[in-house]
Amino acid sequence: MSASFRFPPSFHRSVIAILVTVALFALAPLVAGDFALHVLTIGFYYVILASSWNLLAGYTGQFSLAHHAFAAVGAYTSGLLGYHLGAPAWIGIPAGVVLAALFGLVLGRLVLRMRAIYLAIATWAFAETVHIYLTADYQFTRGELGLSVKPLYSTIGPLPYYFTFLALAAVVLIGLRALIDSPLGYFMRAIKDNELRAKSLGIDTTRVKIAVFSISSAVAGLAGAFYGHFIGLLSPQMIDFSEMAKIVIMVVIGGFGTFLGPVIGAAPVQIVMTYLQKYGEWNLAVFALIVIVLMRFSMEGLASLFAPVWRRLWARDHG
Amino acid sequence: MFSTELVVQTFISGVMIGVLYALMALGITFIYSIMRMINWAMGEFYMIGSYLQYMLVAFLLGPDLWWLAIPISAAGVFAFGLVVQWGLIKPIFKKPPEARDDYATVVTLALLLLLRSLATGLAGPNQFTPGSNLPIVMVGPMPMAGARVAAFVFALVALALFYGVLRYSWYGLALRATSQSRVGVQTAGIDVLGIDRVAFGIGVALAGLAGALLAPVFLVFPTNGLITTVKGFEIVVIGGLGSIPGALIAGILLGLIESFGAAFIDSAYQNIYGFALVLLILAFKPTGLFGERGREA
Repeated sequence: MSASFRFPPSFHRSVIAILVTVALFALAPLVAGDFALHVLTIGFYYVILASSWNLLAGYTGQFSLAHHAFAAVGAYTSGLLGYHLGAPAWIGIPAGVVLAALFGLVLGRLVLRMRAIYLAIATWAFAETVHIYLTADYQFTRGELGLSVKPLYSTIGPLPYYFTFLALAAVVLIGLRALIDSPLGYFMRAIKDNELRAKSLGIDTTRVKIAVFSISSAVAGLAGAFYGHFIGLLSPQMIDFSEMAKIVIMVVIGGFGTFLGPVIGAAPVQIVMTYLQKYGEWNLAVFALIVIVLMRFSMEGLASLFAPVWRRLWARDHG
Repeated sequence: MFSTELVVQTFISGVMIGVLYALMALGITFIYSIMRMINWAMGEFYMIGSYLQYMLVAFLLGPDLWWLAIPISAAGVFAFGLVVQWGLIKPIFKKPPEARDDYATVVTLALLLLLRSLATGLAGPNQFTPGSNLPIVMVGPMPMAGARVAAFVFALVALALFYGVLRYSWYGLALRATSQSRVGVQTAGIDVLGIDRVAFGIGVALAGLAGALLAPVFLVFPTNGLITTVKGFEIVVIGGLGSIPGALIAGILLGLIESFGAAFIDSAYQNIYGFALVLLILAFKPTGLFGERGREA
């Protein structure tokens, strides 16, 4: 990154928009009940997962199908450290982030030299292997019995968790936005548009891809580690493929490859899924159909509805 | 513990299951080599094959006619594949090429979720097993479950058939030509979209066939295709994407490693050994054992 680099004005606008939104959500506890806050907290968790996956898939064109597994790596690392060694969360969570990033780095180094499709295959196999391992080695991981994780706060009320995840989502979103507006972000989009051309212009595409993959895996690990300390009980269910599918659904419904997409896709999808839970499997079937129809007719999600509003807003303020 | 008998038995069961995994891998790699896309819902076509097999055996034909049910199940999956290709996959080619990968990945992932949810919604999360009255068969000195031996024999016949069509028929020639150059075959007057449809049908029918054959062994439930699909993808990486002999040889290799790992290391981790092999191959021979040259970038 050169020293003369300056963020474009769009970066500052996005940061303002994120902060305003966060301020609005910070007022939500005044009107929302405990259950609604709980659902929103989980919604923020998915905002982080969906946004960081979108960084890789939507902006760089590299499909990881193990994003949920990296979240589980973060969650289980912190959980196991606490369970076996009594390590507190402030050690466990960073350890989870580091381990998720390391897994991403190693896996990325092995497959990102090759065509994008190999990343998808290798991450899919990785996720299922982690799933199988967590189930099989139950003496260490507690498998399907569930690993109980110490909660972050001594109160059982959802309020402190709500603010924790809100702040976490805000920090992650600003970080991702900074990354997208940085030179690395331009390299990412260049790779997605035409990798061969990016290479011919002197971009070390493999290194960029490995960096982005590790970063997005680390963010997933971060979200997962906090999530574990929030829900208090981990099971291999966390790496069920429907979790990954959920992330993809959120990004596609919100708007694939747009910054706003996963943010406005994740929380509503999570909320609707929570309230449709009683219909069980039909719930997922309906969302899968929506995604197929969306992909079939237009690849732009909800974000495309907001784009003109966003442009008009700033056009008015700045002449 | 380390008796010759055990080694021989482990070897035989490894080869037998490996050939069935290879069917799955062959389906994945065949669709890829023609259409340049990955069908992530392969496991769900496997699942449909196993459900068809179960329903045919349980309600229509009876356990004595299980061998008749198998080609019917595979044909059913083939027909369903044609419909899916026509409705969902063909529109890919109306989009700009750089969007194809995204589209294909997301749509087949959604299809995976849809089919799995439908199976659970319609038949419940129950496990079914098609009755098998095949006796225990002696393979050399080893007793083997009849259903496994039958699955192995059927898989070999299907592989021979597949190879024969691909190698010696005019249509096979067209398929091979398409895998070399999609533009080239069009100049020779071949309908590429028609080839795609048939290739997709054949690819998913191979998965459906594996599902029907393995139904008595691995049972029938909404996510039963998962493990075999993961094996299929691992084989594809080991053998090299787009390579048909690679799929077969890597399939047997994976089957062997799994069964020896299970017998001599720890059977709880049976499904993990394959992934370890994948990592080794990627580290030392990233193009796979028989990989295409164009694999890098």
